[in-house]
Amino acid sequence: MTDQRRLRVTEVRSLCPEIRQITLEPLEGTALMGFQPGSHLILHAGEHRNAYSLTGDGIMPSRYTVSVLKRNDDGGSAWLHQHLAPGSEITAEGPVSMFAPVHNQQHALLVAGGIGITPVLSHASALAALQKSAEVIYAYKPHRAAHVDQLREICHSAGFRLTEVTSAGNCRKALRDRMSDQPVGSHAYVCGPMSMLESFLEIGAAAGWPEYRLHLERFEAPELDPGEEFALRVSGSPEDLRVPVGVSILETLESAGYSVPNMCRQGVCGQCQISVRSAGSLEHRDYVLTEEEKAAGGSLMVCVSRGTDVEVAL
Amino acid sequence: MTKFSERAQGFPWPFAEGETDFRYSVNVEPARVRRTTATGGWGEHLVDLGGSDYTQLMQQRREVIAAHPERRRVLPGMEMACWDLLLYYLRDMAAAYPESMHLGEEGKNFHWRNDLLGTDQAFTFGQEESLPTDPLTFLASEIPDDLVLLTERDGELFFDAGLVTFAASWSVSFNVGMSMTEIHGPVPRMTAEGMTRRAEIFMRQLQPGQAYRRLNWSTSKHRGERLDTSLETYREWESEIPQLVEEEDWGSLQLRNELQHFVRLPMTGTVAFAIRTYILPLAEIREIPEWRDQLASILRELPEDLATYKGFGDFREEIVDYLAQPADSMG
Repeated sequence: MTDQRRLRVTEVRSLCPEIRQITLEPLEGTALMGFQPGSHLILHAGEHRNAYSLTGDGIMPSRYTVSVLKRNDDGGSAWLHQHLAPGSEITAEGPVSMFAPVHNQQHALLVAGGIGITPVLSHASALAALQKSAEVIYAYKPHRAAHVDQLREICHSAGFRLTEVTSAGNCRKALRDRMSDQPVGSHAYVCGPMSMLESFLEIGAAAGWPEYRLHLERFEAPELDPGEEFALRVSGSPEDLRVPVGVSILETLESAGYSVPNMCRQGVCGQCQISVRSAGSLEHRDYVLTEEEKAAGGSLMVCVSRGTDVEVAL
Repeated sequence: MTKFSERAQGFPWPFAEGETDFRYSVNVEPARVRRTTATGGWGEHLVDLGGSDYTQLMQQRREVIAAHPERRRVLPGMEMACWDLLLYYLRDMAAAYPESMHLGEEGKNFHWRNDLLGTDQAFTFGQEESLPTDPLTFLASEIPDDLVLLTERDGELFFDAGLVTFAASWSVSFNVGMSMTEIHGPVPRMTAEGMTRRAEIFMRQLQPGQAYRRLNWSTSKHRGERLDTSLETYREWESEIPQLVEEEDWGSLQLRNELQHFVRLPMTGTVAFAIRTYILPLAEIREIPEWRDQLASILRELPEDLATYKGFGDFREEIVDYLAQPADSMG
């Protein structure tokens, strides 16, 4: 868990229908921590804790900016849209870095879909500030082109190129075209909806990109199979718990009165990682642990992963 | 009560209360937490200025930097990480020691004052020409810690920059560019028992701004106050311990202890690895009953390969006997 702090809202600006840019500044007498491009801030929005990508370059920031897409009427994003105005204060955690640029990359291909533009804008701004080169593909619906002006301006820098697309078909075409034409030493990054991430991986593999040069930031996860019922034990506790079909280990622990740090509850954020003492088998379904860590079996993301006869240490 | 010397009072004793044997482990804990010991305590700040020896230590450090420019190694692309490191540490020191350290900030312009060393320097973040030296050398001239920067590439951490003046018989020039696994190759059991890998996973999971620490001990490779036992100056100190053994001057043998900090730097994600070195002669340790007994027990029990690596394999019995004798019977 990262430290919490209070930040003051200094501006709320509508970028397009349903997307608002929120500018946050420190309270008096404190400096904001810099951050790696692609980092996110966790905002306490009513009873929700949501992660939002920071859109700035992260170098000595005097303010943090996030862009919030209102997803439905009762979630954290709706709360932020409804409650935040210049002068309000909000609790934030982070910045947390989980989508950082590779330090020694020669060149970057940055791919954004919809609100996925936010971490991509951060990467592009930092590369421009450091006079590095990058190519950006931005797919958006015409009435929801958040940050497009800012992105166009950055992409006027030397060594930059921008492709804008407004349909899924054109996006796949642009991916095929651009992923087959990047210099040696490039790394590629994508943030967007599930279908775009799948196209990115598939087209990237076909174009010969090794997996470790393809970087994904997920803001939604696929529907998961409900799985089978299995036994769960907490080290030091005498009674066995049962994890029912369609219920997660996290939910089972919570109903039994245990408190486990968590946030996204879909295997993306990494906060609910728990040590595994023993297990008959483990089925890792998260996007956080590496293949090596999954094979070692020392820990589990309890919001999505399952197993049989699992003993965890809290 | 000043029963113990200043350096004994601030010495970060590397063994837990009741610990009677030692093996390597991934012994990390959060930084900036004070620990009390039999003589005093340590650890409330990231940077330990020490006591009255701070200016002398920094003098020793600056002399080594001036005489051995090769102790600073910075691979291409690490410039921003050096600035990230400088800013993190200056901000930390200004917060930890407000009575003597001050950092003025206005946008990217800074003004650093260290009253203890008399430093008074304005600079602009990212502009090397605004400092009298590069940012890494500037920081290394203000704090007693040796500094190493590790970056992540393809799932491994690499030693990509460092300024090290007080190395315990290793060489920054030799190690720069190596991976964690390569660097720890010579340490017995470390990689084979999976500790290098676990330490690496731990460092990769550190979040921006987080600081952790561990202690690492050995016996020293030298006799006096000098801390520079780098391989570069091997010829200057190689005869000191053989001579000590010849003279059976066990009281002058020093326990060398490193307080190591790990910090994930916020803007670059680089892991800073800072090493603060402490030495304490056995003659002084023998005056402190809790430490004397515990050290004797640990030295006696340690397996041969570890005793050799830690530097006392050839005279283990002698120093254990020395610690067991009451100080006043020696005359």
